[in-house]
Amino acid sequence: MRIAGRIAEFLVGVAFAWAGVVKLLDPSAFLSAILTYEVFPYQLAVAASLITPYLEICIGGCLAFRVMLGGARLIGTGLLVAFIGLLTQAALRGLDADCGCFGSSVSDSESGYTWPIIRDILMLAGLYGCLIVDRLKISGGAE
Amino acid sequence: MRALREAAVLLAIAIACSTVAYFGHPKAPSFHVDDLERELDEILEMSPVLWVDARSDEEYQSGHYEDSISLNEENWESLFIGFLDRWLPDQATVVYCSSQSCLRSHEVARRLKEELDIEEVYVLRGGWETLMEANLVGGPEK
Repeated sequence: MRIAGRIAEFLVGVAFAWAGVVKLLDPSAFLSAILTYEVFPYQLAVAASLITPYLEICIGGCLAFRVMLGGARLIGTGLLVAFIGLLTQAALRGLDADCGCFGSSVSDSESGYTWPIIRDILMLAGLYGCLIVDRLKISGGAE
Repeated sequence: MRALREAAVLLAIAIACSTVAYFGHPKAPSFHVDDLERELDEILEMSPVLWVDARSDEEYQSGHYEDSISLNEENWESLFIGFLDRWLPDQATVVYCSSQSCLRSHEVARRLKEELDIEEVYVLRGGWETLMEANLVGGPEK
């Protein structure tokens, strides 16, 4: 159980870091993707496109190397909830939005919103799965 | 409480890195992108104008604005020669891409300004969607 939790945490960390690096390589593509959601004003979208990749890399590094876990989980949860919210509203409004989650990939565009939302929910579950395992460990004593 | 402190530290690191990137990253988006944008009415009053299509090659081939030439970052080296063949120094250059959220036109316009050191480069606000709404081009190309 503990090993599974660690592996899940590591994988979520790698996914976050990967998403951040891909966005860093082409910040304009990520900005374009944010704008397709038609939620943020331009200036706020620019700020989000600049900060989010670094935030994702920080979260990914913390989760993978198990440092500042509480903060990483908190921000990771916030980001994932925000991503799920953005994708859901875009799906409900019928927008032709580019997910932008892992760069501007053709496969994301073609698969619509279902896979990106499922992926974000799985990552959220991965974050909380680790937290639950840790809590069980604390309340049940050392394994 | 500890988690909040750690979150604040991570946020501070991310903001610091993004600030450095904003000033140092060659592809960092600009907060002042609207400086390049012009409305269609304004552009139609300019003369002469060289129209540049910044969408992908496939999109350009499936339909483009009359007399526009293709120029995008993916095939810059090969397409730039074609641009130079058509461009005249006293001519305004207007770049468009697929929609308002598309930033390819801004990248192409910025690069043209840098490489040719010219001022008269603009971006059509709303891009291809604006041209379609004005019935200047055919139906959706996607």
